[in-house]
Amino acid sequence: MEEEAISAADSAPRPGPDLPGPFAVGRYARKLQEEMRRRARVLLVGEVTGVGRSKVQAYFELRDGEGAVPCAIWLDDLEKAGLPSGALRDGAEVVIAGGPDYYPGGGQASPSFSFRATHVRLAGEGDLLARLEALRKQLQAEGLFELQKQLARPLLPKTIGVVTAESGAARRDLLAGLERRGWRGTVVWAFAPVQDRHAAPRIAAAIQDLAAQPQVEAIVVTRGGGSLADLWAFCDETLCRTVAMLRVPVISAVGHERDSTLIDDVAAVACSTPTHAAEAAVRLDCVAARGELERGLASLRRAAESGVRTRTPHLVALARGPARALRRERLALNQKTREIRAASERGIAERLGFQRRLATVVLERARQRAAGAEMERRRTALHRVEVALRAHEPERTLERGYALVEDRAGEPVVDAAAAVAAGRVKLRFADGSVGAKIEEQD
Amino acid sequence: MTDKPDSYEVAVERLEQIIDRLDSGQAGLRETLDLCSEGRDLVTYCSAELDAVGEGLKELKLDELATKLASSAEPGTA
Repeated sequence: MEEEAISAADSAPRPGPDLPGPFAVGRYARKLQEEMRRRARVLLVGEVTGVGRSKVQAYFELRDGEGAVPCAIWLDDLEKAGLPSGALRDGAEVVIAGGPDYYPGGGQASPSFSFRATHVRLAGEGDLLARLEALRKQLQAEGLFELQKQLARPLLPKTIGVVTAESGAARRDLLAGLERRGWRGTVVWAFAPVQDRHAAPRIAAAIQDLAAQPQVEAIVVTRGGGSLADLWAFCDETLCRTVAMLRVPVISAVGHERDSTLIDDVAAVACSTPTHAAEAAVRLDCVAARGELERGLASLRRAAESGVRTRTPHLVALARGPARALRRERLALNQKTREIRAASERGIAERLGFQRRLATVVLERARQRAAGAEMERRRTALHRVEVALRAHEPERTLERGYALVEDRAGEPVVDAAAAVAAGRVKLRFADGSVGAKIEEQD
Repeated sequence: MTDKPDSYEVAVERLEQIIDRLDSGQAGLRETLDLCSEGRDLVTYCSAELDAVGEGLKELKLDELATKLASSAEPGTA
């Protein structure tokens, strides 16, 4: 190709970066076509939109939440696919086989890129489940399953929003469930298609509009059962991301118990039926709650009455208190009076006894005065004996410089053996005592 | 009642605490009478909340709700 490159415009400086070329675009377009056709053939799955036909081929876009590819199939190949009449329609989930192609255009025809499909079939449950599973893992890994579940759901909302089809059993079942709850608040309906290819964005918009109303405390999204393809709108990635990020709790009740759509995973609560969704939206059974309130009120009445009744005897006793206290004081006063009287009688008797003893002493002294001479003689003799005795007292010896040895008990230690046996002794001098230790016998 | 409860569930929770305390028999007379008074106020509040969702189901379409909100906002904005 390079040898066919148009030579640079003679002496003019080359604009732009230093790259090969320039090449003639028509030949480049054909080379591009060859490159495209060499790429690997694959199977693609997605939703068909924008179906159109020319004389020789059908064209459409195949898309999902992340992107789209323009596709084309020769009418011959489409016929061989054996699809039911009208099956290749907007919203259909299909699997196509083929590879990328590039139409280089011509003198008047515009160039275009397309995925050239050679085979097409309607997507089966298995294809959808595989896509669903991949999306489920992705959203779960992003933590989007937990956000709604962390929201506080009111026990008794006054207003709930509901997204559902305007006609359908789901609407009726939900109302019946609310009625059974005894709940007669306000329901705000946001009707939306729940099955065709426009359903997912309309449902997402309805949920967002409801969530924007401050009165709406919880949102129910519900529809009846169907095949996974019928419920596919509720597996839409954008819808599920929208629900996950809302700050109003969303309760999903899509399909039957066995159906598991992606909105069930991201919602605050997934319910199997619209009736269960009513119970999840209004958690309080209003009929039962009224009964419980009556019982609570009765408990309070009983408690108040009992609180007073059990204390009444004590209050009565307190009320009688003054009379009883006076009686008690009077008794105590009488007792004191008796005690004082008895004490004074004892005092008189004691004084009489004292006077008697005094008289005896006076008489005795008078008698002694009569015997005075004899007493003086005896006193002199006694003094002499006392002087002699004092001369023998140990203290007199100590005053002369001797010491008395005593053991711990204060007994005199009178020989060396006893001193050794005592070990520690006390040496008593005239002016005091000191401790001493016996070390050995000489 | 000292303060209006934040929600029905908060009121019911406090009511249960009050009844448990009264049932324990440990509350003195003054506390018993105070708790009974508070409890009656809570029952009144809960009854009013139930009445608010018990008079008759009201059904609105989303655009009707939006219109209603807009018209109720007008006097305040005028």
